[in-house]
Amino acid sequence: MGGDTYKVRDIPRRKFLELGIKGSLITAATPAIITQLLSCNQGIPPTSGIHTDKALLDKVIARALASGGDFAEVYIENRISRQIVMEESKFRSGLYGISQGAGVRVISGFKTGYAYTDEITPEKLYRAAEVASYVARNGTPTAPVNISPAQRESFVTVKQPLGEVLDEKRIEVIERANQAALDYDPRIRMAMVDYYDEVRSRVIANSEGVYLQDELPLLFFIVQAMSDNGSARHMARERLSMHSGFEMFGEVTPEEVARRAAREAIDMLAAEAAPAGIMDVVMENGWGGVLIHEAVGHPLEADNIAKNIGAFTGKVGMKVATDKFTMVDDGTLPNFRGTINFDDEGTQARRNVLIENGVLLGYMTDILSAKQLGMERTGNGRRESFRNIPIPRMTNTFIEAGTDKPADILASTKKGLYVQSLSGGSVNSVTGMFNFTCREAYLIENGRKTTPVKGATLIGSCMDVIRNIDAVGDDLDFGPGICGKGQSAEVTAGQPTVRIRGINVGGSRA
Amino acid sequence: MDYIQLTRDLVEKAQKLGADAAEVYLRTSRNLSIQVRDYEMETIEEAASVGIGFRVMAGGRLGFSHCNDLSAKALEDTIMQAIHFAKITTPDEYNVLPGSTVFTQIEGLYDPAIISIPMDKKIQMAIDLEKLAMGVPGISLSSGASFREGDGEVFIANSNGLSGSYKTSSCSIGVGVVAEKGDQKNTGWESCTRRFFADLKSVEEIAAEAARKALELIDPVMIPTQRAAVIFDSNVAFSLLGGVISAINGDSVLQGASFLKNSMDQAFASPLLTIIDDGRMPRGLGSAPFDGEGVATQKRILVEKGVLKGFLHNSYTAKRAGAASTGNASRRGFTTLPGIGTHNLYVEAGQHTPEEIIKATRRGLWVKEVTGYGINPVNGNFSGGASGLWIENGEVRHPVKGVTIAGSAAEVLGAIDMMANNLDLNRSTASPTFRVAEMQIGGK
Repeated sequence: MGGDTYKVRDIPRRKFLELGIKGSLITAATPAIITQLLSCNQGIPPTSGIHTDKALLDKVIARALASGGDFAEVYIENRISRQIVMEESKFRSGLYGISQGAGVRVISGFKTGYAYTDEITPEKLYRAAEVASYVARNGTPTAPVNISPAQRESFVTVKQPLGEVLDEKRIEVIERANQAALDYDPRIRMAMVDYYDEVRSRVIANSEGVYLQDELPLLFFIVQAMSDNGSARHMARERLSMHSGFEMFGEVTPEEVARRAAREAIDMLAAEAAPAGIMDVVMENGWGGVLIHEAVGHPLEADNIAKNIGAFTGKVGMKVATDKFTMVDDGTLPNFRGTINFDDEGTQARRNVLIENGVLLGYMTDILSAKQLGMERTGNGRRESFRNIPIPRMTNTFIEAGTDKPADILASTKKGLYVQSLSGGSVNSVTGMFNFTCREAYLIENGRKTTPVKGATLIGSCMDVIRNIDAVGDDLDFGPGICGKGQSAEVTAGQPTVRIRGINVGGSRA
Repeated sequence: MDYIQLTRDLVEKAQKLGADAAEVYLRTSRNLSIQVRDYEMETIEEAASVGIGFRVMAGGRLGFSHCNDLSAKALEDTIMQAIHFAKITTPDEYNVLPGSTVFTQIEGLYDPAIISIPMDKKIQMAIDLEKLAMGVPGISLSSGASFREGDGEVFIANSNGLSGSYKTSSCSIGVGVVAEKGDQKNTGWESCTRRFFADLKSVEEIAAEAARKALELIDPVMIPTQRAAVIFDSNVAFSLLGGVISAINGDSVLQGASFLKNSMDQAFASPLLTIIDDGRMPRGLGSAPFDGEGVATQKRILVEKGVLKGFLHNSYTAKRAGAASTGNASRRGFTTLPGIGTHNLYVEAGQHTPEEIIKATRRGLWVKEVTGYGINPVNGNFSGGASGLWIENGEVRHPVKGVTIAGSAAEVLGAIDMMANNLDLNRSTASPTFRVAEMQIGGK
């Protein structure tokens, strides 16, 4: 696996759009002061906070540009996480973590210097600034703009802040999900429930004078159910994730998540060997959009375009897909897992139409690639933590709804594969070759969904797939995922039901 | 700071604060990453960090917490969080910490020379590597070259009196290039990682390999859907075998989530398949004196001539299985509980040269790239995407891209009929090239 390969991990579909609409009715939470976020529910006082001494940040930025350079930035982060895991009806562990630190970045021409420190002290920040300024050595000092607070719109609302939730409540949703999975059918032999939440606080200050701070809560709830009937076995998975308070479990119950996993586990016990070869594929609405995330989204991230090696290099304004194909990356969908308010460089998140009716409109940029390409900043500069430099990343990426009826799409497909959910996959963003593994798929025979088939791989090239989408449904839906590109990022992928003519399916029978 | 003493002190502290048993795991790390493109430095990243993970038990219940703030106050608060969690989870009789042992010293885990090599020399190495790869005819674009190094120390102590530490280093150099022909693009990436700087392959060798990979799949021809022999190149063998390793993970076996759960001492693969895990190989990238919870590492045969001989255990799964830990507790840094993983994992070399295998193949696919998840460890189903070279009558005919290969673990592993001798032990997972007599291939 080479340096140009990006992958995404397995997440199922969820009706997040509905949640988002409901979520937007809630009054926007006032971003709390960072030190307040650090208080936890056991009455233990906060141990550390982000000390946002603005004069210090100005000095660090000036130090970073002391030997030249065009841009300097300080990024400070504090992340408090909790994870509780239940397996085989036992709580295997409870995990609590605090991770904090700061990174200093200098851009000189197209060169980047970066250094980070776990200790947020003036000495360590200055030292990081000096290391980062290595790329601009022997230059003359650049004068930064003094920082002042910038305004950014927020798309994340919170009713029940995670820091105020008792661990007993966390335990309760896990137990409920576990029980619901086991109660679904006696052939469900085991359930695994993984609960994770975090509050990530960010401070961003740069030599353009931007100063921002906010917090992003994140909930991630995964239920796996394993079925076994003596002769077949299937591990099913369902995930739920949002930037939200604990009220997420009021919108979608833990039982509902568990039953979806259990249903898949039971239905797939009847799976037979999948056929091999090129065939038509109907992809059900929701997380299936991850195919487009990989096959088209990654190649549209501007870093490889700036290197002149990306699959879509030089194709802006050109017709790259069918008329029915419109693709959007939108970091502003209310409370979605991929929503960011502003990116990790401070650029306001927005809706970016990447391909409209088949015509390529633009790429997703961060500060560096926007500068390299002479393009706008699109709000896609993201990083896993203070230990990473920002790079162009997707947020909530989807195929826009069309006008076809999902039932008609299936009925008009004589023979092929109906993909109900995908696990994950990967793409080579230079060549555009992608692959995916089906989690739940069925044969299509005479326009009807028939026998379930075992996890087959789907492969193809990004250019072919978007030229071969000939039906786009009106039922747009989303699912949450983890995207890996050297660093991980939380994303959603979405699509309506679509039909792709001629994908290569990796089954074990002819 | 004396981290050995600190970890011991913190174990005592946790016990005073209410833990029946406690483990403190501290890790320091230092990293440098240099990326160059178009013969100029593009990115340089450098950092040092330290963090601690606390595993505590109270009344048989487990709690874990971690932090990267080493102030006394932060450490105490973090321990309290772990103890708090240990009060609300479920008691589990298998929650145990290992006892104290004497660790064997393993040679060659740390190279003091790496850090003393001047930065400019490291940058120049990456630039030279990129130039050499770009100089190969047919190579037109670069995705960049990189030099990376890191070192770190692990300190562990627990309330059974266990205390240990070791120091490691590594460095790597790699390059990615693109070959173009008309509308076609193909990437080639090659890198080399070693414990010691002096052990790195020459930039000439790495550059040539990256360019060869980019060039060899230009002008592919689609093949029909069929059954034929599949030769797994040594570079991709573990994209198939990874699922076997997941299926012998003690946790999966005990949970019934493994296609090999009832296969101990049974033949499930071809007699040509022997798999060994060695935690003690000198200079091995996966070597360490002890595992992620302080159990001495071993060299173990997992699969012998196709017969399953061993599962992988940490202390928890070992107790549950009524076995001894196999020294396979793994740790992804200080932020997680010990899981289960391997050290230096390899397939024993066979008799044939890779060329002999090609020559002996009447009709088959020599797979150079595999995509997908490998064998599904739960049910043994395998399906992946593949690219490579098409073989007919013992000769390479043309490149192939975008086909699929699939089968069940039993079909595929049982049908390995030739094992090559080209084993490169300088990787933490290594296999020679091998041939599967027949598999389903999906094409046009």
